[in-house]
Amino acid sequence: MDEGPPPAGRSWKNTLQKLRGRFKPEKNAAEVRVRRRRAMIQKLHQRLPFLKVLLFLVGYLWMVAIPYPDLGRTTYIDENALQPAQVSTYWDWADVHNADRYLDDLERLGDRNASSAELSEFVKTEFQKSGLPAATQKYTFSVGSTNVTGVNAYAVSSSPRASGNEAIVISASWIRRHEGGPTELNLRGVSAILALAKYLKGHSMWAKDLVFVVSDGYLDGMQAWLGSYHGSKQNNLQAEELLYASGVIWNALSIDYACHSFSHLGVFHEGLNGRLPNQDLINSFERISRFTGGVPVVLYDHAKNVVRHVGYQGPGRPSGIHGLFHPYRIDAFTIYAVCAQGPHGFHALGRVVESTLRTMNNLLERLHASFFFYILTDATYFNKIGSYLPSAILVSVGMMFHGLDIWVMSGWRLEEQPSEKVSSSSQERGWVSRQRPVLHALTIMMATHILGALVFGSLSLDNWQTLAPILFAVVAVVPLAALLLRSRHHSETAPVSTVLKALNLCFASTIISVISVLNFSLALLLAIALGIPLAISTPSSRLVQYPAYILLAAGWLLFLPEQTQSALWNWEVLSVWFAPVAAVVTLLPM
Amino acid sequence: MSSTLLQVGVVIPALTALRLGAHLAGASELLLHDQQLTTPLTSYSQLQEGLYLFNHGIDPYNGGTVRHSPLLLALFSSILPSSRDVAATLWALCDAIAAWALVQTWRARQNVSSSSRDGLVAAMYLLNPYIFLPTLALSTSSLENALLLLAVMFASQKKAAASLLSLAFLSHLSPNALLLLPPLVLILLTNPHSHLASPQKISFNAKKVAPLAAEFLLYTGVLTAASTLVAGSWRWIPQTWGTWFTLPDLTPNVGLWWYFFTEMFDHFRSFFLVVFSIHLLIYVAPLCIKFQHDPLYALFLLTGIIGAFKSYPTLADPGLFLSMTSIFPETFPYLRFPIVTSLLHLHSALLLPLFHHLWLTQGTGNANFYYASTLVFACSNGAAILDALWAGMRIAIGKDVDGYAVDQE
Repeated sequence: MDEGPPPAGRSWKNTLQKLRGRFKPEKNAAEVRVRRRRAMIQKLHQRLPFLKVLLFLVGYLWMVAIPYPDLGRTTYIDENALQPAQVSTYWDWADVHNADRYLDDLERLGDRNASSAELSEFVKTEFQKSGLPAATQKYTFSVGSTNVTGVNAYAVSSSPRASGNEAIVISASWIRRHEGGPTELNLRGVSAILALAKYLKGHSMWAKDLVFVVSDGYLDGMQAWLGSYHGSKQNNLQAEELLYASGVIWNALSIDYACHSFSHLGVFHEGLNGRLPNQDLINSFERISRFTGGVPVVLYDHAKNVVRHVGYQGPGRPSGIHGLFHPYRIDAFTIYAVCAQGPHGFHALGRVVESTLRTMNNLLERLHASFFFYILTDATYFNKIGSYLPSAILVSVGMMFHGLDIWVMSGWRLEEQPSEKVSSSSQERGWVSRQRPVLHALTIMMATHILGALVFGSLSLDNWQTLAPILFAVVAVVPLAALLLRSRHHSETAPVSTVLKALNLCFASTIISVISVLNFSLALLLAIALGIPLAISTPSSRLVQYPAYILLAAGWLLFLPEQTQSALWNWEVLSVWFAPVAAVVTLLPM
Repeated sequence: MSSTLLQVGVVIPALTALRLGAHLAGASELLLHDQQLTTPLTSYSQLQEGLYLFNHGIDPYNGGTVRHSPLLLALFSSILPSSRDVAATLWALCDAIAAWALVQTWRARQNVSSSSRDGLVAAMYLLNPYIFLPTLALSTSSLENALLLLAVMFASQKKAAASLLSLAFLSHLSPNALLLLPPLVLILLTNPHSHLASPQKISFNAKKVAPLAAEFLLYTGVLTAASTLVAGSWRWIPQTWGTWFTLPDLTPNVGLWWYFFTEMFDHFRSFFLVVFSIHLLIYVAPLCIKFQHDPLYALFLLTGIIGAFKSYPTLADPGLFLSMTSIFPETFPYLRFPIVTSLLHLHSALLLPLFHHLWLTQGTGNANFYYASTLVFACSNGAAILDALWAGMRIAIGKDVDGYAVDQE
């Protein structure tokens, strides 16, 4: 031991030999490989429970962390052509006076409860007085046994500079945006449209047609108008053809302004089925409002931004009439005047809208440069897709791992084998492979989906209140019947419930990760609703557990009547696919 | 009850009727232009356009829009009425014939006149969404599938002439099918029974190969001559066969070629066209040699490879491969990662329409999205082929024995 360290030459030879031994083992190479692979799989399998818990935990924590500003960054303008807030605006107090006069007339009409026809006729006449070709459009939605009727008014100001292949829509609905509460007329919004139409027509810088639309009702009027504009058919809608048309609509904004004055301008941007407009549009508006109008911008009307975003996007409901433009690939948003004692009014609003329209007018191609996948945590802060998508994906990966784990385990069973050694523990336990009843499990899955489709198919706006308890009872009983029919368990095959759980987890994981690109909020909600419950479900018939799952699967029929109704209304009138998808996809009891 | 439900006589008519019902419910209208179900070479609307030009005495192959065979034009303009309802019926019948051919092949492989699995085999073909949807979209790839399965059926029944004629028709419509000639001839010369578990050296009379090949060439020649007569010139050849190898139309589809050649600089284009086309050739000989004891399995694997790598695939091409697995149940216990393969297919089946929608309908995605989903689809096709290849060879070693492991050198 007193020789000291070996000479350097020996040492590198040793290393070389070690390396060679690693790459060219003395033993049978295949055996080494098999052993290495087995050791790796075993290690992975040993750590799998920890890994699964970690995935779930990190996923759910990440969801909670989404609103945290450090996860995102400040917004910026991506498209150079936009040049927001770089123009001089000419909207002046004379135009504000015009708007006030229109408002007086409208208030008079509103006070005597004028009919839709009268109101739209008034708007049309005022458009015409400003020198614009204008028309009205009657429409009727038959929703269940009731009819929703109304009359839209619109005008087209053709562009003095180009052939009118592209258009911008400026719109206001008669009823301002509301969420189930009492309705309020959007009188100032409409008068702003009228005054803007008169004012904007007098300028020669427009390279795109301007289309002014005053739609009846809240969402129904615009749905009918856009349907007719794009020639799309809807079975329960009867609408007149449009007299005047223009080019392809690239951008649209709608104005929601009801109170006397406002302190902030709010942005609503969620479209039908969770589509979001290009972020450049919102960012430009934010810059313009701040620098041209001097009005600070907030998201929505202040408060719990991400939760509200998920609330709109998840069920795919639009947060304003702008949302109806989105299925036609039109980037649109709503400018919402947040009620306050002051200091802003028509003057600031007019300047902001004029400048925003000039920015849209600058576009040479559709908005494409900035983000379509984002979460605005504030009017000037947003999360990129990379900083929020992993939350749902991690949960879905956790579910997939769990499902695959159960799948692998279901293929084996511990069997006591009589050992040849007659010792004290004469029984040796070994793993024996067994068959998995995949077809059975798939049949049950198909059946639950068909059941979900039937439940959804039988619901409609007319009958859902009476049918809901009955359907709930049916959904609660049918799986019990399946339990009775369950075939006797053989030890050679895995129990159906285990295979079913494995496949269910894999399928739900797939759905979540696929949906997350289309509608992240929905994926988020699914991950929360399905993640843990499916992962911890067991085939036991404990009395507490069963009702809990039934409640999760079908409780919405009984306990969320408002949401059920609005989802049904959205499906029937606006073709939002949240309701059918929720009913068909997620109704997977146990 | 399940046994009566699963009889071929019940399954095939019921599922054919289901197709007609879906057509009457308006599914064809909805799917007719879906780029996952039709390509410029198989689209029904392009066939209609070709027919219009053909019937009005204009050379359909002059413009670069019509890429269907002159024989199809002749067939639809003379014998078959070209109304859409008739077409839907015809397409549904084609699927029924294809399913029946698959069942017959299964019977021939098992050497029985009927079995309890017959209905399942037919259902596996007719209920496969990859096959169901292209049929509803009236894509001519359904006709190609039927021709291929007929060729295989006749080969398994030792009807050389009929088999070769079907294959000649098929390769007339889609020249990639020429690659299937070697395994098909091998089936004709040996037998279609399952020898996967006991591989042995093939023995057949090599002198019979030449007459069979000559017969095939004769049929191909006759079909070519007939096409030229119908079209009135040779111009149809670059417009139909040439399209497969020169890729003039870059309409997106589920395959791997379109995006690659959209991005390609022009001076590399011809080189990579050659590489992509020749690439398919390299599989034929190794598979036929490795599976010489069971040429039907070699043909099955080649079908999968062609479906994954051909230039203008629709979902029906990989779908055919997936449905054909049902006639090789002996390999199922030896599949290496069936759950991974099925989950991959589930993912790609959902991602393809979704990313297509994001790109072309909703406008929030771009071409890269759809390309990514076709890559996932290619991975799942590749996984399915590898899995089948592994199982086909692994079965020869037999069941797992405790303390031993099978390893691939």
